[in-house]
Amino acid sequence: MEQDELLNNEKIEKVLSPHPLSFMKYQSLCIFLIIWGLLSLWLANFSEYKDLFTINEWFPIVVWALVILAVGVLASIVAIRWLIFFMYLGIVLLGIGLVIWQNWIQGPWIVLPIYTVAMSFIGFLLVEWFRISHKYIISNHRIVFKGGIITKEERTLRYDKISDINSKQGILGQIFSFGTIIPISQSGFGLGADQSFAAGGVQLGDKKAKFLGLFGGGREVQTPRARSYYELHGVYPYKEIKKLVESMVQGSVITQYQQEQVEFQKEQVDIQKQMRDLLKMQNGPKTGGKNDKEDE
Amino acid sequence: MNGSPVDIIIFAPLAPIFGVALLWFIQLLFIEFQKLLLSKIKRNHQAFCRFTNFIGILFQSICHALGFTVTKSGIAHFKVTVDYGRVKPKKNRKGLFEWISNSFLFIGPFFLPALLILGCFVLINGGIDVTSSVNYTFAEGVINFFSNVYVLLEKFIILLVRIDLLHPVQLAFFILLVFLGLGIRPSYIGEDKRRKVDMMYDLRNIWSHITRKPLYVILLFLLAYVLSYLSVLFNTNWYVFLFSILGWLSVTSIVALFIAQVIILLIKTTDEIPGRLKILTYITLPLSYIIMRMIFFVFSVEIYGYKTISLLVMILSTVLVTFLLLYYKTNKFKTKINMKSLKKKTKET
Repeated sequence: MEQDELLNNEKIEKVLSPHPLSFMKYQSLCIFLIIWGLLSLWLANFSEYKDLFTINEWFPIVVWALVILAVGVLASIVAIRWLIFFMYLGIVLLGIGLVIWQNWIQGPWIVLPIYTVAMSFIGFLLVEWFRISHKYIISNHRIVFKGGIITKEERTLRYDKISDINSKQGILGQIFSFGTIIPISQSGFGLGADQSFAAGGVQLGDKKAKFLGLFGGGREVQTPRARSYYELHGVYPYKEIKKLVESMVQGSVITQYQQEQVEFQKEQVDIQKQMRDLLKMQNGPKTGGKNDKEDE
Repeated sequence: MNGSPVDIIIFAPLAPIFGVALLWFIQLLFIEFQKLLLSKIKRNHQAFCRFTNFIGILFQSICHALGFTVTKSGIAHFKVTVDYGRVKPKKNRKGLFEWISNSFLFIGPFFLPALLILGCFVLINGGIDVTSSVNYTFAEGVINFFSNVYVLLEKFIILLVRIDLLHPVQLAFFILLVFLGLGIRPSYIGEDKRRKVDMMYDLRNIWSHITRKPLYVILLFLLAYVLSYLSVLFNTNWYVFLFSILGWLSVTSIVALFIAQVIILLIKTTDEIPGRLKILTYITLPLSYIIMRMIFFVFSVEIYGYKTISLLVMILSTVLVTFLLLYYKTNKFKTKINMKSLKKKTKET
């Protein structure tokens, strides 16, 4: 953060980036590609099933593509993100296109495994690029979230606007001491929704006349969720950062005890005002009388 | 059938029990040594220690949950973290059910990971041979038990010596062996020393579990005796075979622990190498193996046991690189200029 971006009396406490393993859900997609690339190489060239792959020149390509697409579908369903499937589809189509274009179909089964491993390395690089694009600045006044590879995004959150802090630490985070902290603002920024939907179909009637009914119901649950640019994603050391953020929020927000003290002080002021008025009222007629006499 | 009736009736049923107890004690010693090694590297490798803790706690919790499932108590809550595991039953059962679920908790972590490894080993190896005899004496029982254990140990060692680390299934088995070897311990290596959690602590736990309900232990012994008499009656020595499975589990654990300890020892030794040079050791380990295998593959060298040779080269080269790095990089008294020229220089000045 540059000096001119700082506010008056602002002091930077910490500048953070996500932990290298904090984007494991994306890295695991690349790890799968490495494993499948090496496994397919072994299956078609060295394993006891290698004869199976020589039946037809397209057979290994079909197996290779189907496994990648199946895992893509599975990962997309689990992560509820179809981008994964389309990414894998892109890899498959590009691979097949490359093989046809260069006429590598009849050669030894080596090109596509190497291509798969190479694609996974590119994937790792992209994930790493995405990771290092994140920058979280914790100052004594606010938290600044910065990120974006092409489009730069920035979010500033003042501590007095934070209503809640959600923090989570997965198993990998617990092992490597990193975790995610989501500051939820009073406007609800930092909250997402989990949706579940149930549906049932009914078919009525015989062969000639059919009636199909579909009944369904949905449910939504608010849950702390934000994009990695808008949360302290996979910060290290987790416990220390969490303590720092909480202490900053506590320092900016009036606590229950302080509220009670303010109320008490208000009451004291009111009482003192009432007493002053009473004293004025008591003293008022006497002084008035004297004046009257003097006037007379 | 040879042997005195007293031997067959009183002492023979105890033979495999003693065998299991002995192997289990050796397993405990290995666990204790592993904990010692882990505590030595804890400072520099906290994440690694936390990982081993997690595996241990995971299996402990699974065993606990298994105990509740077997006793039909149900599982209301199951939580596993790096520091602790928590399993709560739906119904709080007392008496024998509670004792059984606690037995799973105390003894299960010693055997459950080994059961997984053994299952994989049987799948790869295609079964294990079992020896049996028609004599049901104490001595024959001991011989039978240890013969069965020896058969497994021999096959296990042969598999490890001939393991092909470029074969996905065998590599996966080896990784599983190492991972589970790191987690075969019920007690915890914590972030800070809260209390003394060692072999004696585990034994005390188990002893108090036994002495709290001695009647159940007596019942278990009686059951063992009945099974022994039944196997004599039907002239099939499956009583020893039953205990041999427990012996196999112990031996499997010991092998897994040994391999895990070698890896921990390597980590501990490389820690003494200053700077980033220690990476060389970790690079040498896979690289030497892959180079050897490529040499054998590319030049089509037909040597019997080329996988073993590759493994041997891998181990030796790693040890050599580590030793050389330790020798040349940790010698604090060695000066950059040799002593003679240094003396000359000091005289001149």
